[in-house]
Formats: sequence, structure tokens, C-alpha cells
Amino acid sequence: MSCNKEIIKLMHKYLDEELSITEEKKLRSHLQSCQGCQDHFRELTRTVALLKSSSNMQPSTSFTANVMSNLPKEKKHLSYIR
Amino acid sequence: MDEKIRLKIRQVKKGDQSAFEDVVTFYQDKVYQICYRMVGNAYEAEDLAQEAFIRAYVNIHSFDDKRKFSTWLFRIATNLTIDRIRKKKPDYFLDAEVRGTDGLDMYSQLANENPLPEEELESLELQSYIQQQIMSLPTKYRSIIALRFVDERSLAEISEILNIPIGTVKTRIHRGREALRKKLRDV
Repeated sequence: MSCNKEIIKLMHKYLDEELSITEEKKLRSHLQSCQGCQDHFRELTRTVALLKSSSNMQPSTSFTANVMSNLPKEKKHLSYIR
Repeated sequence: MDEKIRLKIRQVKKGDQSAFEDVVTFYQDKVYQICYRMVGNAYEAEDLAQEAFIRAYVNIHSFDDKRKFSTWLFRIATNLTIDRIRKKKPDYFLDAEVRGTDGLDMYSQLANENPLPEEELESLELQSYIQQQIMSLPTKYRSIIALRFVDERSLAEISEILNIPIGTVKTRIHRGREALRKKLRDV
């Protein structure tokens, strides 16, 4: 189990790249001494890694062609004069 | 690359439709992935992503060149997707049965069409599981998760794209991350 809300908040700030140097020292030294928070932190970083693994998600190969063929037609100049 | 896109956008604004092709090619994966993370369904994500590009094209004159194009484009895509989710009718999901196919789901159809090596299938399963867990969260969390983890957008940019205060973005990312930590810890 994790220690307290303040440390968890620091973990999230770390993941948001918003930790100050003092806060980072505090988080580091706490993690070194607390197994529960270490586990919590590991689970969080792993979750982030899983969420970033979106390499399988790709649109169809005809995506661009489909968009281009569905765009409204370019305004053409009149090719005849009354 | 930003400079190249900037140039293309200027050409599109001048009426050169073909210049838009490079813009679509450049951003299609990201836009598709953001939509996919929010709707959890490949067909709908494709449809939404295409619609987003078409709207961007139609409204290109309202895009301010001094701003970042992706911020503007992602805003169109997320608004469109949030709208669609709101109006949502009963829906077809990947794991839903295809009507009249006697238990065949979309996955088995996809797999037939395009056989994958085993490890990829495994990761496809993992991907589908991760997506299921994301889908169990409310839309307002999904949009932020999509922007933060598909393209690592900064909190400030997410706040701009979704037009919500940065404090709210932070809170939702923290809560979303905690919720998913619990759901994904045994994966």
C-alpha cells in the first residue's frame, strides 16, 4: 500500500514533468525507503508505457486517398463564355 | 517538418487542393489514434478522422497561420468525436457480433483478411484489452488520455485543444492515470 497523498501527487507531477528539484529529491528519497510507494510508482510508469504503445493503431492504407476524393471540388474557371 | 506543413497550408489557402494531401499523410496516424482512443472502434475512428480532415480543409481560412496547425486540427478532431459520442446510437464494437455471421466477430474477420504472426496477435489482444479499460472511463477522461499518451501533448496544449482550464487537465490526467493503473496493473 502506498504512503500518503502527497507522495502520490509528486509521482503524478513527475510524470507530468512538473517536479521541482526539491520535490524530486523528496520523491527519490521516499521511494528508496518505501516499498509500497515504489510499487505504486512502478505501476504508474508501466501504465503510461502501455498507454503509449499505440503502434498497432493505424488507419487504412487508402485513408489519404479517401479524404482527398471526399474534399469539395476546387472552384474551376468557367470553360465557356456565353 | 513544421515549416514544411506551414508552407503546405499556405498553398492550400491559395486554392491548391493537392497540397492538402501531404498534410493528411503527415497527420493521419495521430488523428486516427486520438479518435480511436476515444471511440474504441476502428471503423468509427477512421470515419471521424476523415471527417476531421475534411472539416479542416473546408475551414482552412479560419486557421491562423501564426498558431500551431496540429493544435487546431486536434481540436477539430476531438470536438467532432465528443459530439459523435454524445449523439451515439447503439454501436458496433470490435468484439460485437457481426449480424448474420453466427458468432463471428470483427476480429475473426480481420484476422482472416490479414493473418498476423503470433506475437502480434498477442499484442493485438493486449491493445484491445488496454482499449477496453480506456473505454470504461468517461469521455472527458478519454479525450485527455488520447492527447496525452498518443502524442505526448503538453498539459498547456491539451488545455488549449480541449478549451478547458489547465488545472482541470491536470486533475483528469492524474485521476485517469490512477484509474488505469488499477485496471492495468495485472497485465
